Amino acid sequence: MTNSDGQLYTIEGFAAALIMLMTAYLVVNATSVYTAGDTHISDMQLEALGSDALNMMGTPTNTTMDVIGTSPLRTIIENDDAITFKTMFLNLTNNRTGLPPDYISRIGSTMDFIQFNASYTCRDLSNNVISTTPISYSRNLTGGEHTVRATKWVIVNEGVCGNGIQHRAVLVEVLMWRD
Amino acid sequence: MARLNDDAQWIILMGFLVSFSFFFLALVINQSTVVGQTTAESVIEFPKNDIRDVRQVIGQSVNDPNLPVIRNDITVLSMNRKGSVLKYTNITNGSATYIQIHYNNGVTEYNENWSYL
Repeated sequence: MTNSDGQLYTIEGFAAALIMLMTAYLVVNATSVYTAGDTHISDMQLEALGSDALNMMGTPTNTTMDVIGTSPLRTIIENDDAITFKTMFLNLTNNRTGLPPDYISRIGSTMDFIQFNASYTCRDLSNNVISTTPISYSRNLTGGEHTVRATKWVIVNEGVCGNGIQHRAVLVEVLMWRD
Repeated sequence: MARLNDDAQWIILMGFLVSFSFFFLALVINQSTVVGQTTAESVIEFPKNDIRDVRQVIGQSVNDPNLPVIRNDITVLSMNRKGSVLKYTNITNGSATYIQIHYNNGVTEYNENWSYL
């Protein structure tokens, strides 16, 4: 004869097991989505930061510059001034309030969390072919970095792409990544 | 028929209540992480900085004596490096100047008419 005692406990056991399995599934699932969402948020922030930095570099710093229509970024491209670009860009993106964690060993350093690789692209007048010229970089790209791109249009008075000196539009592109 | 023991039913009820509350808490955690993703994606997708930058460079270029060359530069580079169609014209009618900007990167289309005296 079958004993039918404790049927309610059995049903409760099944129900509890189902609920716990569902909960565990949802929690595990949530952590896997978290990485993707997190990546997008930091990408967005890094891209906004880079665009702002380039925008500041493309703005004349005083009225004398403004009258002749130039800006730090334009001067950098016209003079192939890699060092000024590097200093200015790293300052704009990496400087923060307070002392960097490595300030004892490297006095005068910034935190250097954001690395960059900058270049500009121009058009050859004779055949419409575009080519890219490096401006400056803080570290070599190895291919494993997760980079975002920030861009800025600049009008320069320079013989870009092998053409004669005249006013030309070039596109400055900066790849940025956190290190 | 065997006797069903119906003692302590409130303990079973509490067990259900606690289980369900855990379930809903898990649901909240699950959904909370996705919120930032959709926001960040839509921010990245909308070319706010591109359009702002393009307007700025066009404003600089229209008074430049080398405008035809610069206009071609911007159109060609924009297509090749940013994957966006970008055309602009400026027409002078009497003392007024009109600038028409057309921008399309496949996701967002932006058209603008400027006029100034």
